[in-house]
Amino acid sequence: MSELSLLEQDIAKLIVETLKLKVDPATIQPVAALFGDGLGLDSIDALELALAISQSYGYQLRSNDPEINAIFSSLRTLTKAIEKNRTK
Amino acid sequence: MPDALLIGPYRPDDVLAWEPDGPRTARQFLSDVAQLAESLPDRPTVLNLATSRYEFLVGFAAAILRCQLTLLPQSRAPQTLRRIAGDYPDSYGLADRDETIEGIESVSIQLRGGQAPWPGEIPRVPLNQVVAVAFTSGSTGQPMPNMKTWGALTAVAHATGSRLGIKGGDRATVVATVPHQHMFGLEASVMLPIMHGLVMHAGRPLFPADIRSVLADLTGQRILVTTPLHLRACVTEGVRFPPVALILSATAPLSHSLAKEAERHFHTEVHEIFGFAEAGSVAERRTIDGDRWRPLDGVRVVQDQTSWMVHAEYLPAPVPVPDRITVDAQGMFVIHGREADQVNVAGHRVSLGELNQKLLEIDGVQDGVFFMPEEGADLVTRLMAFVVAPGKTSEEIQRALRTHIDPVFMPRPLICLSSLPRNATGKLSRESVSELARQWLEGQGHGA
Repeated sequence: MSELSLLEQDIAKLIVETLKLKVDPATIQPVAALFGDGLGLDSIDALELALAISQSYGYQLRSNDPEINAIFSSLRTLTKAIEKNRTK
Repeated sequence: MPDALLIGPYRPDDVLAWEPDGPRTARQFLSDVAQLAESLPDRPTVLNLATSRYEFLVGFAAAILRCQLTLLPQSRAPQTLRRIAGDYPDSYGLADRDETIEGIESVSIQLRGGQAPWPGEIPRVPLNQVVAVAFTSGSTGQPMPNMKTWGALTAVAHATGSRLGIKGGDRATVVATVPHQHMFGLEASVMLPIMHGLVMHAGRPLFPADIRSVLADLTGQRILVTTPLHLRACVTEGVRFPPVALILSATAPLSHSLAKEAERHFHTEVHEIFGFAEAGSVAERRTIDGDRWRPLDGVRVVQDQTSWMVHAEYLPAPVPVPDRITVDAQGMFVIHGREADQVNVAGHRVSLGELNQKLLEIDGVQDGVFFMPEEGADLVTRLMAFVVAPGKTSEEIQRALRTHIDPVFMPRPLICLSSLPRNATGKLSRESVSELARQWLEGQGHGA
């Protein structure tokens, strides 16, 4: 298992709590897919997650961002995007 | 044979739709439709999965001109598509450019654009032509088809428009967060604008920041077609939105307080539509005015021996209302809740009995039950499931379940137990499952 950075740990926790997943945040693979086969998240999850990220980090995700699929592809890519765009 | 025009009151160079790269006029639209209609395969049924609302509409209209039925799957989940394609084996798929639909022969929508002559006449479509099939989850788990005639779709569009005071020539732009393959999406975000000569926005903004930027880019009046889920996200996010002329919400009940907040946020009136795939849109209300629904013109809700039925001239037979309702002397009604077995997750309706059946079909599952918790503060209340499956993990069961049910109904969480609290006759009461859920949620401290 790869090591999670501190921010990755926080965001893993945010994902699990926001979406009520029955997984231990520490076991989320940083490079595994969040949607589809990975954690099996759907577009309603994306909306809930985007709202939680906006409230916790002040970063407003946009679905028409050409990078959106890349951003949401894994815990690591999502964390990188939040790190770059956070305002709080 | 009575018929109706393919589109409403547009002049040739009126904008009919906004695509990401610019406007499409009525003239271009009719030319796009004519060109695509010529190149469609000679098949009776088509699964139209176009992401762009405009390309979907071009595909839908082209199929209508070729007398082909457009199939509207309730989700894009591969197993749903395969099941529908299995029921309609002569189908082909209409997909986005450079995309294919797994396991289904598909054609990608390629629009040539460019200037086009205005045809002498706008095509007319017989009112009794079946143009679309909307699917709902049936009690056996097989998607149940609901046939939609051109007469039904146009009648609902006109009745909705007249109720909401939408006039041709308003030139408002309709922006929608709902998929156009969903019955409400088709009626409110496609048929409503094109029957009234309005502008249809081709996008589908999802996050509050998207909705705001799409609305901000528009000139003229804006109409937002959406759901309680998106409205709650927009209100919670607390960003400023440009004023809209009207918000139309459906797919799940909107609370009075959220409607009030949304009206303040968007400086507008929030109206709701009550409907379901079998009947289409049935009634309307402005949520803050109270809980009574007013049937659309031409729709009556009438009691027969066992249940309330929706009657309308365009429905081949009366359709039972899936909710418990009371109707007053003026024909207006109040909804008291769903029939016992029915649940609604983010606008998708399903029978709990059917989901339980799917759960029990999974290898290694000895007993199991789905449960819908009371609505809480979350955007969407998800189902839970309690399962008895010795030797299996909840992840294994989730994985097996995912191939059998629509993803929106996946339980969050799925909890493995050694037994379920069945009574002496083997029955599992709602109260005992509810108590199980309460205990479990308390044990979790409402957290993960």
